[in-house]
Amino acid sequence: MREIEMQPELEQPEQQSPPEQQSPMDQVLQHVAAEVLETMFFTEAELADCEHTWLEAASSARIGFEGSHFGEMLFGLSAEAVDPIAASFLGLDPAELTVAQRGQVIQELTNILCGAMVSHLWPESRLSIASPELTSWQEWAAEGTLHRCFAIPEGRLAISIRLLPRPHPPGNES
Amino acid sequence: MAYSVLIVDDSPVMRTFIRRVLALSGFEVGECTEAGNGEEALAMLSTHQVDVILTDINMPRMNGEELLRRLEADGVLKKIPALVISTDATKERILRMLALGAEGYMSKPFTPESLREELERVLGDRNAGDRNATRA
Repeated sequence: MREIEMQPELEQPEQQSPPEQQSPMDQVLQHVAAEVLETMFFTEAELADCEHTWLEAASSARIGFEGSHFGEMLFGLSAEAVDPIAASFLGLDPAELTVAQRGQVIQELTNILCGAMVSHLWPESRLSIASPELTSWQEWAAEGTLHRCFAIPEGRLAISIRLLPRPHPPGNES
Repeated sequence: MAYSVLIVDDSPVMRTFIRRVLALSGFEVGECTEAGNGEEALAMLSTHQVDVILTDINMPRMNGEELLRRLEADGVLKKIPALVISTDATKERILRMLALGAEGYMSKPFTPESLREELERVLGDRNAGDRNATRA
C-alpha cells in the first residue's frame, strides 16, 4: 500500500466562524471570492448560509493543483445565475450566449478563483494548476474540506477546497 | 496613438474578456488579433504588425514560456513587448516569466485600469528604450 504524508494544513474548520476566529484559508477564500466576482464579473459576493438544494441543478467545475501543495477545488454556480454571469463576463446579451460559452465561463471562473486562492495562500510556492473540468456538484466529506456559500445578486455560488495527501516520491513506496 | 494588440490564450471566452477589458480601459487599440497558443501567435506575427502581445502561460501545443523563448531568439520579434496574463501569481512563476523576456505580468483578477497602466508602462519603457538606442 502506498504511504502518504498528510499535510498539516489539511484540517480546516468546516463551520462558519466570526472573522477573528477564521482560519487564514477561510479569510483568503472569502477575500478572493469577493475580489474575483467584483473585478472580473462585475458583481458582489457576500457570505451566505449553506442551503444546498440549489446545487443539484448548479453548473459546476473541478480543478486540481499540485507541487508544493496538493489539492482540489470545486465550484458551483446556481442555474439562474449562469446566464447573467457569463453575459457580464463577455459583455454580451444573455440571449446571445452559446452552450459552449456558458461552460467555458464556468471553467474560467473556477480557474481564476483557484489561481488567486493558491497564490494568496502560498505566494512563495511552486504550483501547477490543472485545466478545470465541468462536473456535477459533489458533497465532499466535511473533514479536511473548507466549504463556503455566497449570495450574489444573480443567484448563489459555492466553493469547496480541500488539500490532499502528498504522495511519497517513487521508490519510497512500501 | 492606437496600438495593435495580439491576444494569445487558449480560452475563447478569456480572449473575448480581454478585448472587453481593453475597450473598457480606454487604452487605444487599433487592430486586435487573437491566437489560441504560441504556434498560432508566431504564425500571426509573421503576417501582422503587432505593437504588444498579451499572453497566457498554460496553453496546448506551445505554451507561453516557449513562446517567450521563441520571441527572445528572434531579432525582430524580441522588440515586441510581451505582457503575461495568468491566474498564477506565485513569485517563482512571475520571476521565471520575466527572466524569459516578459516585460510585465498581470495576475487575475485585474481591473481595466490596472491593465491600461501596465500596457502604458510596458509600451512607454519600450519606446523610451528605442529612443535611447536611436540616440546611441
